[in-house]
Amino acid sequence: MRILIPLKQVPDSTVRVSVAPDGKSIKTEGITWSISPYDEYAIEMALERKDADPSTVVSVVTVGPARSRDALRQALAMGCDEASIVIADEAVSPLAVARALAKVILEAKPDLVLCGKQASDDDQGFIGPALAEVLGWPHVATITKAVPLDGSVELWREVEGGHEVWTAPLPALATVHKSEKEPRYPSLPGIMKAKKKEIPERPFAALGIASGPMLEVVSMEPPPARGGGKILKDGDLKQVAEQLATLLRDEAKVL
Amino acid sequence: MKVLVVAERKGTELRRVSLELAAKATQLGDASVVEIGGERYSPLPFVSALARKVQADAPDLVVLGATLNGRDLGARLAARLGRAYAADVTDLAASGGSLEVTRPMYAGKVRARMRVPLPAVVSVRPGAIPLRDGAPAPQVTKIEADAAAEKLTFAKFAAVASGGKRVSLAEARVVVSGGRGLKGPENWNLVEQLADALGGAVGASRAVTDAGWRPNEEQVGQTGKTVTPDLYVALGISGAIQHLAGMTSSKVIVAVNKDPDADIFKVADYGVVADVFEFVPAFTEAVKKARSGA
Repeated sequence: MRILIPLKQVPDSTVRVSVAPDGKSIKTEGITWSISPYDEYAIEMALERKDADPSTVVSVVTVGPARSRDALRQALAMGCDEASIVIADEAVSPLAVARALAKVILEAKPDLVLCGKQASDDDQGFIGPALAEVLGWPHVATITKAVPLDGSVELWREVEGGHEVWTAPLPALATVHKSEKEPRYPSLPGIMKAKKKEIPERPFAALGIASGPMLEVVSMEPPPARGGGKILKDGDLKQVAEQLATLLRDEAKVL
Repeated sequence: MKVLVVAERKGTELRRVSLELAAKATQLGDASVVEIGGERYSPLPFVSALARKVQADAPDLVVLGATLNGRDLGARLAARLGRAYAADVTDLAASGGSLEVTRPMYAGKVRARMRVPLPAVVSVRPGAIPLRDGAPAPQVTKIEADAAAEKLTFAKFAAVASGGKRVSLAEARVVVSGGRGLKGPENWNLVEQLADALGGAVGASRAVTDAGWRPNEEQVGQTGKTVTPDLYVALGISGAIQHLAGMTSSKVIVAVNKDPDADIFKVADYGVVADVFEFVPAFTEAVKKARSGA
């Protein structure tokens, strides 16, 4: 089975994001970049398939600026077989990204495409369903398990109260919410091997993609600051409990 | 502005977010509400039916609840129709010939105002739009999902043992979450009893779901659910930045932790420095009393 994962490089989840002086973007100087967390789950899910069946080929692709190559390297070091990049330095519309990925996928002909359910920078969750739409493939969103069957795949979708289990004919696409295990760390031999791998690149402009509607950032700000709350720590716990319940009812009015 | 609201039902009732959207749509202009009927949500049959409706009615704006299914349907619909798409917005207003929305980015670490060109599809975060009590029930037109468009086969539903009877986490008005301070899954009755006393849903920190104490679907935070209840109670949660990202938009935050330096206290409106095992049973009793009017 061939599995392809489109990934995005984003600020690492431990970065304290702050707004840049232009008020429309975030400060990127000196920040650590990583594979978006849900894309990491998608990679882990694919690599678990490869652990079970070594004939599985796992490839990763990204559409983004040249620095995104580091994220591909990271995926190769985790154990992915192939990586390629479509270099887009300028902001590209989300629909155009989906179209570019579709072009790569139609050439690579994977059986299964796994996308993280959303990138942790814009948090839109658009690319997965949009890519399936451009390809004309069925998709199942927010899965936690993929089980290959003969000519199809069983996809477990987490919903309220349990999992819906869907069977999709191949090729198919799924967006990933979680993998069964936590994403693996790159091994030292993996890192060495990844360094030597070639990452083919091509410019976005060479793909001849029609653009799509763009959202425009008007302004960005940190979320409203919280804090200055009341700390209750002294006295008998029963009294504190009753005091808190009364505050919630009469002051905060949430009971 | 012509607005089409896509309503969603849970059981026999319309979801609260659908009522919120119907109320907002009326403020934005000429509103109508549609519901897609089918045994269960599946992207292709739902997108196919909805796209036909949108092409026939030509609304400037299609709004859905930013629920599990709403976000999926909205994204694929926007791609099919080549419309602009904004997900999980917390506010929206007409502005000249376009739409201006507010939405969290970077897992809630930044709030962005964005201009969305029309026509557009937008999903709106549950609880973001105030709903006044006694708002009139919207008139809902029902369309049928397009079964002929289906390419998937539904195999089965695998239920998880826990949950089910409580309200859904994403839409709950009260959420009580437990962290590593609870020491083990056997102590979750403390969290559940308080949640029941408050009429709320149960959540968990990532440390807890990663350890397998609680199912993934209960995780609140950056790689779990983002919640915006009226009341969020964090029990034995230290307040890692990824957890804070999922709950700091709650209206009122209560934190109980025995470590006075825990980061969770920086976002709490009411903090209690105490051992959860000693405090929570007393608090649960106090809540029952306060709610009964005593």
